[in-house]
Amino acid sequence: MSFFVDENTRLIVQGITGREGTFHTQQMQEYGTQVVAGVTPGKGGTEVLGVPVYNTVREAMERHQANASVLFVPPKFLYGAAYEAIVSGVPLVMTIAEGTPVHDMLKLHHLAKEKGVRLIGPNSFGVISPGKAKAGFMAHRIFSEGRVGVMSRSATNCYETVFLLKNAGIGQSTVVGVGGDMIPGSTFVDILPFYEEDPDTDVVIMIGEIGGSEEELAAEYIKANVSKPVIALIAGKNAPKDTSMGHAGAIVSPDGEGSAESKEEKLRAAGVHIAESTEDILRIVKTLV
Amino acid sequence: MKLLEYKAHEVFHEFEVPSINGFTVSSVEELESDTREIEYPVVIKAQVQTGNRGKAGGIQFAQNKAELIQKGGEILSMTIKGLEVNRIFITEKVDISKEMYLSFTMDRKTKLGVMIFSPEGGVDINEIAEKNPDKVAKVILPPGDEIEDFILQYVIDRTGLDPQYAEEFKSICRHLYRMYVQYDCLLAEINPLVVTKAGHLKALDGKVDIDDNSLYRHSSIEAFRDEITENQLVLAARKFDFLYIPIKDTGNIGVISNGSGMIMSSIDLISKRGMEVTCALDLGGGATADRIKEALKIVASNPLVDTIFINIFGGITRCDEIANGVAQSIEHIDANRLVIRLEGTNKEQGLQIIRDIGGNIELVDGLYAGVDALAEGMKV
Repeated sequence: MSFFVDENTRLIVQGITGREGTFHTQQMQEYGTQVVAGVTPGKGGTEVLGVPVYNTVREAMERHQANASVLFVPPKFLYGAAYEAIVSGVPLVMTIAEGTPVHDMLKLHHLAKEKGVRLIGPNSFGVISPGKAKAGFMAHRIFSEGRVGVMSRSATNCYETVFLLKNAGIGQSTVVGVGGDMIPGSTFVDILPFYEEDPDTDVVIMIGEIGGSEEELAAEYIKANVSKPVIALIAGKNAPKDTSMGHAGAIVSPDGEGSAESKEEKLRAAGVHIAESTEDILRIVKTLV
Repeated sequence: MKLLEYKAHEVFHEFEVPSINGFTVSSVEELESDTREIEYPVVIKAQVQTGNRGKAGGIQFAQNKAELIQKGGEILSMTIKGLEVNRIFITEKVDISKEMYLSFTMDRKTKLGVMIFSPEGGVDINEIAEKNPDKVAKVILPPGDEIEDFILQYVIDRTGLDPQYAEEFKSICRHLYRMYVQYDCLLAEINPLVVTKAGHLKALDGKVDIDDNSLYRHSSIEAFRDEITENQLVLAARKFDFLYIPIKDTGNIGVISNGSGMIMSSIDLISKRGMEVTCALDLGGGATADRIKEALKIVASNPLVDTIFINIFGGITRCDEIANGVAQSIEHIDANRLVIRLEGTNKEQGLQIIRDIGGNIELVDGLYAGVDALAEGMKV
């Protein structure tokens, strides 16, 4: 089964005429994703890689009955592009760019909730259901089809993990880039129910990091609602306080909120397997599958 | 980015938040030649990015010009918590009858703004909350560009603020909240918000933290950022769109990687083995050889660094570009050890380039192998 993206995904690429947008449209097509339309304001009527381009998301939706959109637009334009997608009836909106202003994301987060739209990212590699489809820029060669679900705030730690899994012959059902920003469109708690309900997922790997409270909230949710085994890695145990570690969201506040210890403690208490490293994730997965 | 105090007052004034008046200088000469009319006594405040300036002698009073020049000079020659004082803020001395606390910040749990107010201020808000939780009101705010009156009324009633200050308080809140929204603040804090002897409210000191990602729409603040960045390596890295992160004042390892998550994982594993990372540099995605050369030079120029660990899992970043960058910079790097792990796009080409450089570069396969190699070399 898998979720979010698969062979039935009809994808819009916003920013398709840009360098990154075009390059990754080709990559997504080669992987088997149905890219049905592109949107770039002012470039309507043209075509990129055989994909028709429109000025607005609304027209792309009307003509192609798309069910997802991925945004290859710079952070300055992310708010406008995501807003347009959300109010034009796209049910799944995936945002890639790093560097979106936090106040923009605060607004988008609540707008998406209000409209019942699943918003993923930003600062995310996208979503991939290996062997079926991908929406985003992830290096798909290192992913493989299987029954382990992965969701991650970090792209590199996720790559490292799926690479180790692949080499050990363990594939993935759906892999979601939650993103490294302070305010993600969807959090671990928002995505966990999909893994719990997905008949093709046996084990869930959650790659978190310092900063915020998403892992603590996930711990509460898992305790009450998730029957499948969950493995968690929290990166940044040795990061200095009050210092952003690159991801805007990876920051422990001066009073200690967002620390790795707090997250690991809550997760452990919820029965989650705590991994010390990406290799440790592999070791634990092997005991569970 | 966190604004220095004087800059915070500037934005308070801009948003009509009643705030103290003053001016800044960065040298004694500037003070000596200053001709403006000053009403004494004045307060002289060191402009450094750290708390507890007062305890370190960074806040003093002056009764006349001679004293201002003498004490101003003293403060300008200070180093407070490792930070050189390059600027002093000279302000009116306000006679106060009460200190309070007010801030707007972001609650990451609910993804909403939050207002925090306490009629007891002047010290750390967490301290107040611990000792006297009834005196602190914390209200999660609905999304919006303006703050509603009923929220302010609730805060006043809940904390027992003297009703005679209610109208002025509400006005300050409305203006500060507007500033919080329009300046993309992560934190807009007034501490202390004082009641003057004359019975008016005024921001005596403030902390304003503006979202780095929003600086493109606040150009005056963006220009100010480089001015206050103390760490030269952070500045040097920024020029090439890299993020240089000082980790510790000790340690001997510098980590270079292509992503925040990978940097944190590297530091975690290295620290677990009893070694210390002193700094890290995030290349971001897609760095080319000539930029990687610069990244290596920046990390190597940290005098504490004698060992550099390059840990790459390349997607957009290509291993051959990394290797070429190493080849181009190797002569300029005087680190004792260079441990390199390459994985991902064009790995084989990259490895070959590194092998061709020769010398004593240590190539490792995998993050764990890299950490093992580091540990072995340091005998830990």
